Amino acid sequence: MPGHRTKGFCASAAALVLCAVLAGCGGSGESVGGGKVVLRYTWWGNPDRAERTERAVALFEKQHPDIRVQPSFSGYDAYKQKLAVQASGGDAPDVMQLDYRQIDQYASGGVLFDLGKQKSVLRTSEIDPGLLDTGRVDGVQYAVPQGRGTETVVYDVKAWKDSGVPLPKRGWTWDDWAESMRALKERTGRPGATDPGWSEDSFEVWLRGQGKSLYTEDGQLGFTADDLTRWWTFTDRLRREGAVSSAEETTQIDGTVENTPLGRGTALSDTNWDAPASGYLAIVPSGIALAPMPSGEDGTPGQYFKPSMFLGVGASTSHPKEAAQLIDFLINDDEAAKILGATRGIPVNETIRKETAPLLKDFDRTVSDYQASLEGTLKDPPQAPPSGDNALQTTFQRDYDQVSYERMSPREAAENYVTEAKAELRS
Amino acid sequence: MTTTAIPAEAQRTAGPAPKRRPKREREGAAWVFLSPWVLGAVVLTLLPMAVSLYLSFTDYNLFDPPRWVGLRNYTQMFTEDPRYWRSVVTTVTYVVIAVPLQLALALVVALALKSMKHGKAFYRSAFYAPSLLGASMSIALVWRAVFNDGGTVDNLLGTGGWVNKPGWALLAVALLTVWQFGAPMVIFLAGLQQIPAELYEAAAVDGAGKWRQFLSVTVPMLSPVLFFNLVLQTIQAFQVFTPAFAISAGKGGPADSTLVYTMYLYDRGFVASHMGYASAMAWVLLLVIGIVTAVLFRTSRSWVFYASEGDR
Repeated sequence: MPGHRTKGFCASAAALVLCAVLAGCGGSGESVGGGKVVLRYTWWGNPDRAERTERAVALFEKQHPDIRVQPSFSGYDAYKQKLAVQASGGDAPDVMQLDYRQIDQYASGGVLFDLGKQKSVLRTSEIDPGLLDTGRVDGVQYAVPQGRGTETVVYDVKAWKDSGVPLPKRGWTWDDWAESMRALKERTGRPGATDPGWSEDSFEVWLRGQGKSLYTEDGQLGFTADDLTRWWTFTDRLRREGAVSSAEETTQIDGTVENTPLGRGTALSDTNWDAPASGYLAIVPSGIALAPMPSGEDGTPGQYFKPSMFLGVGASTSHPKEAAQLIDFLINDDEAAKILGATRGIPVNETIRKETAPLLKDFDRTVSDYQASLEGTLKDPPQAPPSGDNALQTTFQRDYDQVSYERMSPREAAENYVTEAKAELRS
Repeated sequence: MTTTAIPAEAQRTAGPAPKRRPKREREGAAWVFLSPWVLGAVVLTLLPMAVSLYLSFTDYNLFDPPRWVGLRNYTQMFTEDPRYWRSVVTTVTYVVIAVPLQLALALVVALALKSMKHGKAFYRSAFYAPSLLGASMSIALVWRAVFNDGGTVDNLLGTGGWVNKPGWALLAVALLTVWQFGAPMVIFLAGLQQIPAELYEAAAVDGAGKWRQFLSVTVPMLSPVLFFNLVLQTIQAFQVFTPAFAISAGKGGPADSTLVYTMYLYDRGFVASHMGYASAMAWVLLLVIGIVTAVLFRTSRSWVFYASEGDR
């Protein structure tokens, strides 16, 4: 009856709901696989990588009948968030794929297992010492690089050729690149490329082409708001001319090739890492090719060889030996190398690299040839980015959104970013 | 529900009333029966709340131990963080759009259901279904697809994908909430059925038309229920997360246009690993929802009609 619905009732009901405001949620499950050791192995990637990884994992399980591997993968953005939550909750996977950006943060946060303790199982002698060092933090080997990658301009060969615009060539500059984009737009009616303004990686290549760097050696910002303003003014102008993708297209990028403008068929090229570009093969039927990233006006190359990804073991794993066995298999096993090809970048195991290079097929061959063509022409990679960079990568995209949706001028957004970045790196 | 047990008990123990057990013993039994709830409340709600209050005064990145920083999180929030204020504006905009629309729709459907002769149970369930589904991630993802470039809405209206337009994305989020009007609808329906039929008969005798009856009988008689729904939905709307998260693919975009308060809280806590700051944000949200609720209660004096008060 309405008469019974007193204020007191309303008040207590409201109070109850209010109490629930701060309640969180959580949960984790330990899985048991019929007496077998179960390893959780997580990674990011495209369907091509997924298919090959599953075959490699199946082979590993055949060789080790007492181990069962539970692989799980997603796009990079989703992976990054999920891993952060798992890691902070003490529920990191047994074996996890890591980005250069995550090593410092997770190693110093106690999330990663000291792989030196499993030396006898996990062999690293075949890896170039310099490359291996990129997985060290404070002298401890927390992660092992799994492949070597570099950035590339990946493009739809047929559409580009048909347009009559000269194909990209070695040593082209950012100005040459911009002219090509304009010409492509004019001849084909489609934007020439993904707007690179959203990408911290592309910005880094541009910045290095001018002899600067994202971060200084002591982990501070290596550029000024003026530098970023110039970059964003450059890309924003191209976007307004329609030479690169629109804000609505660019904002849909989520770390998968399917959701890039090239993947969606609305642009002719994309700036991406070379290994994941294999994902375009399935969605750009007319074929793709790789070109070097544009260099600075004086010819200084901005791109560099970087460990494309690492493998690490969760500090809280109950099966460190088996986890190390899986990593050893993925890096050092001949058969695994044949299956995986260059899907995670060119293999780090030098013997395997030499042996498999002639055997590489299709796109793996393309990536391998592409990297060979750059050998000896690039500058040294920067040191591992500071902890805050993991979050700043996202901030960078978000601040550029404000530019591409014309809510802020490049200068305003750049100053915002520099303020946010300084705060992030201080804490 | 439980009242039927009492007469039976009374019959069996007819005669001189048994001596009452000592108070402490009875209290002990009460605690035993309450224990599942109390344990849950303490371990899963009160303790985390206490920890979160402590964390809100610290700088805590999840990996290193928390560092006490006093009120810095709070001062930073109010004076140095433009994105914080943008998220506040976004949230208030969302609440102002979603809550009235949802309540209006719930009331209209409840009124229609009330006057139905047949199939009431079916339609009631059918309209309630979205509320059960809507909280799920999968529906939110479908929603994103429907409002994306080349989605249903784009094809029908030719507007392009709403989820990629800063001015429209929040509306898509609000519509998902509005669509889940089942819970307030069921409560409205219950309230409507409690209104004595003689009031309508009396009004009809006095020559009141349908509209007049609605304004002069239904609305005042329903006002406590309306108030109840308003308070509940407002509290919930301030905490909206899932639809905004799924529809913006976890980014609060485009251009922060769907970065509602809890999304920004999540972003600070789990993406940027500033748990102290995120905790401080949670406490400010709690406080603000408390204040908004108090204000609603205050204004309710002038428009909510309690039949029981009329008797006094």
